[in-house]
Amino acid sequence: MQRRGHEAPAARARRVMIARRLRLTGPGGGALGATVLLCLVVVGALAPWLAPGDPLDMVARPLTAPFTDPRFPLGTDQLGRNVLAGLIHGARVSITVGGAAAAAAIGVGMVIGTCAGFAGGRLDEALMRVTEAFQTVPTFLLALALVSVLGASAANVVIAIGLSSWPPTARLVRAEVLRLRGADYVDAARVAGRAPLAIAFFEVLPGALQPVVALIGITVGEAILVESALAFLGLSDPNLISWGGMVANGRALLRSAAYLVIFPGIAIAIAVLAVTLAGDGLAARLGLTGVR
Amino acid sequence: MTFNLCLFPRRALLLSGVAAFATGLAATGPALAQDIAMGGTLTVAADTEPRSLNPAIVASNGVFYVASKIVEPLAEMDYETGLRPLLAESWEGSEDGLTFTVTLREGVTWSDGAPFTSADVAFSAMQVWKPLQNIGRQIFANLEAVETPDDLTAVFTFSEPTPAQLIENAMPAVTAVLPRHLLEGQDLGEAEYNAAPVGTGPFVLAEHKPGEFYRLTKNETYWDDGKPYLDQILYRVMPDAGAKAAGLETGDIQLTAFSAVPLTDMARLDALDDVSVIPGGYEGITYNITVDFNHRTEELSDPVVRKAIAHAIDRDFLVDVVFLGYATAATGPVPPTAGDFYKADTPAYEFDVDKANAMLDEAGYARGDGDTRFSLRLRPAPWFQQTRDTGDYVRQALAKIGIDVEIVTADPGGHIAAVYTDHDFDLAIGSPVWRNDPAISTTILYQGGLPAGQPFANQWGYDSAAMNDIIARGQTTMDSGERIEVYNAFQDLAMEDLPILFLTHFTFITVARDEVQNVANNPRWATSSWADTWIAPAE
Repeated sequence: MQRRGHEAPAARARRVMIARRLRLTGPGGGALGATVLLCLVVVGALAPWLAPGDPLDMVARPLTAPFTDPRFPLGTDQLGRNVLAGLIHGARVSITVGGAAAAAAIGVGMVIGTCAGFAGGRLDEALMRVTEAFQTVPTFLLALALVSVLGASAANVVIAIGLSSWPPTARLVRAEVLRLRGADYVDAARVAGRAPLAIAFFEVLPGALQPVVALIGITVGEAILVESALAFLGLSDPNLISWGGMVANGRALLRSAAYLVIFPGIAIAIAVLAVTLAGDGLAARLGLTGVR
Repeated sequence: MTFNLCLFPRRALLLSGVAAFATGLAATGPALAQDIAMGGTLTVAADTEPRSLNPAIVASNGVFYVASKIVEPLAEMDYETGLRPLLAESWEGSEDGLTFTVTLREGVTWSDGAPFTSADVAFSAMQVWKPLQNIGRQIFANLEAVETPDDLTAVFTFSEPTPAQLIENAMPAVTAVLPRHLLEGQDLGEAEYNAAPVGTGPFVLAEHKPGEFYRLTKNETYWDDGKPYLDQILYRVMPDAGAKAAGLETGDIQLTAFSAVPLTDMARLDALDDVSVIPGGYEGITYNITVDFNHRTEELSDPVVRKAIAHAIDRDFLVDVVFLGYATAATGPVPPTAGDFYKADTPAYEFDVDKANAMLDEAGYARGDGDTRFSLRLRPAPWFQQTRDTGDYVRQALAKIGIDVEIVTADPGGHIAAVYTDHDFDLAIGSPVWRNDPAISTTILYQGGLPAGQPFANQWGYDSAAMNDIIARGQTTMDSGERIEVYNAFQDLAMEDLPILFLTHFTFITVARDEVQNVANNPRWATSSWADTWIAPAE
């Protein structure tokens, strides 16, 4: 991981530091993170019932201040869209897109890492050079380029984040696979005549999975941030409301209606912190604190 | 905080704007020479940084904003006289419409010292305006030659009758004159001149630091004695709207044009003691917001569907919410700022959702699953906040009549290619410009038979013999009164056929610090020469 010289480790260190200051690390923090995360998932899942209708609809007087109208507790934006409804539906987008993108990244990373580690030789060399090539481009820039080319839709955002965030998983899985492929039980499987691919994916990979768990938190957290950043730059699905898009929309009114930026900003911060804490907590519970 | 202003923002803001405008005018009136402070640097914000500063090739407001101070047209628009002579002193069209004679101003020199003559006009017209310029190609399509009997006379001859009124109306935007002695024989598309133009205007380009600024300095040999009043104009490249608003407040910049400051900030800025919001000065370059229908889409080829969509969109809501009152609801393709050309009583489609639904029911577009009749893809032009916001509103409005709209976004280049070349859209939100005469940039939105790839023109797949006939008649009708009648018929037919739907007309807004004088004193002010702009010294 030491080659990965850009934002992720620093950002992660920052997040962990904040969590430490807040005394949120450890199992307590993990439980808190998991609880908040669960709440967000529930809110997202129930969005059509909690805030019926399209959150992009212009429903009220523009720029109603927050806490003034009980029907729009967090106010409305400059086109009269309900900020609270936007946050609720935005949770859905952030968590689905973030989760799906992280799943794609981890999936791709596991397959490539396992193949490279287990096959060794030229395939390993080739795959690792490709991984390094991906790592030389900052994650966000690569995602930005991919979405610009593919077009702005939710599926493309998932693909773009997935394709730009898999290298850490691949390298971690490869290292674990390299450690395990000489283990006795793997030799036993080989002697028993199982096919190499079956051995790689059914014998070696499960053993290498535990450290990957430690990466889930950071990968999902990063995916949510990248999705928000893409939306901030207007590169997310325009038919879906997203927290990053809400921040971008409110930016022009920072001086006169700062709440339009503050509320979605808080939502992004809470979601990322919750995911990170939950991931850390899970890793701690599995005794993996040293792996990273 | 401005939350409470927004229920009736139009009245509140326009009133204060008009007040500011009036004070501006009062201060500018026929000021005595000793009242005007000479010198100083005017610092303004530039939103974009055009690569070419050659207004004779690229007639666009982004280019004019800087280049109109350096390279002058034959005449400029004027609130009182309609047209104010610049490089031309007078002009006259022949009765048959086949010649147009321009008498040029005496004693004008290029900023490099060479004399300005009719040869420069002939060169610009034949080598640049007619073959190269986006608008000139239409206006001067039938221009055959420009004769130069003497240094101060240029005679335009046409193969088909071309109305003098059209040429007059086109002069401010289309006739920027280039120096023949610097450009003859060069590849004009690639000439270095495009980045460092030399002109007859009140200012010369002193320096362009990419990403930072353009610096224009006074042309000491300008033909209009005593002008310009300013020593320098500094265009600071500032793409961020928030930074511009802050710059106006602190005095770092003195002026922003083209509504560069977010509309939502206008009320806050106008409330400041030393900053004014000035809505005038853009009448000659009124923008419009349109819904463009792709007639290749089966549902949209049905006029009933297009009319139902027109009934489903609340133009007043758009004016109040998206434009915060800084716009007017459209009655047709010609805006009220067009004066004589404007016709108010065109076929109208009042906002009536029930009626729209009934029309679609009757035409057999039944509601299927989830109440949807059919689905359309909408491409909002990405360049203005207002075009994007209008797209969001149209999506919501059409949901109420059972049309499911999916918004598709792209960067400006991708948008232009998708809509105007590939026709890959069902609906688009466009922002065509009104340029002072229907034949300059408006009828082309309705004219049939244009090649794919020509932007900001009829790429909708609409081709009507009646419409083409009216447009052709307008181009060859000589009498000004008759031309107005032809274009009245054009507006009626445009609204009857409804190949595209004009929603709102909007003129931009200038925000300036109060020390800047003579702001917005002509209908194309931001794209005019600023020779008479000056800065009042601090009291």
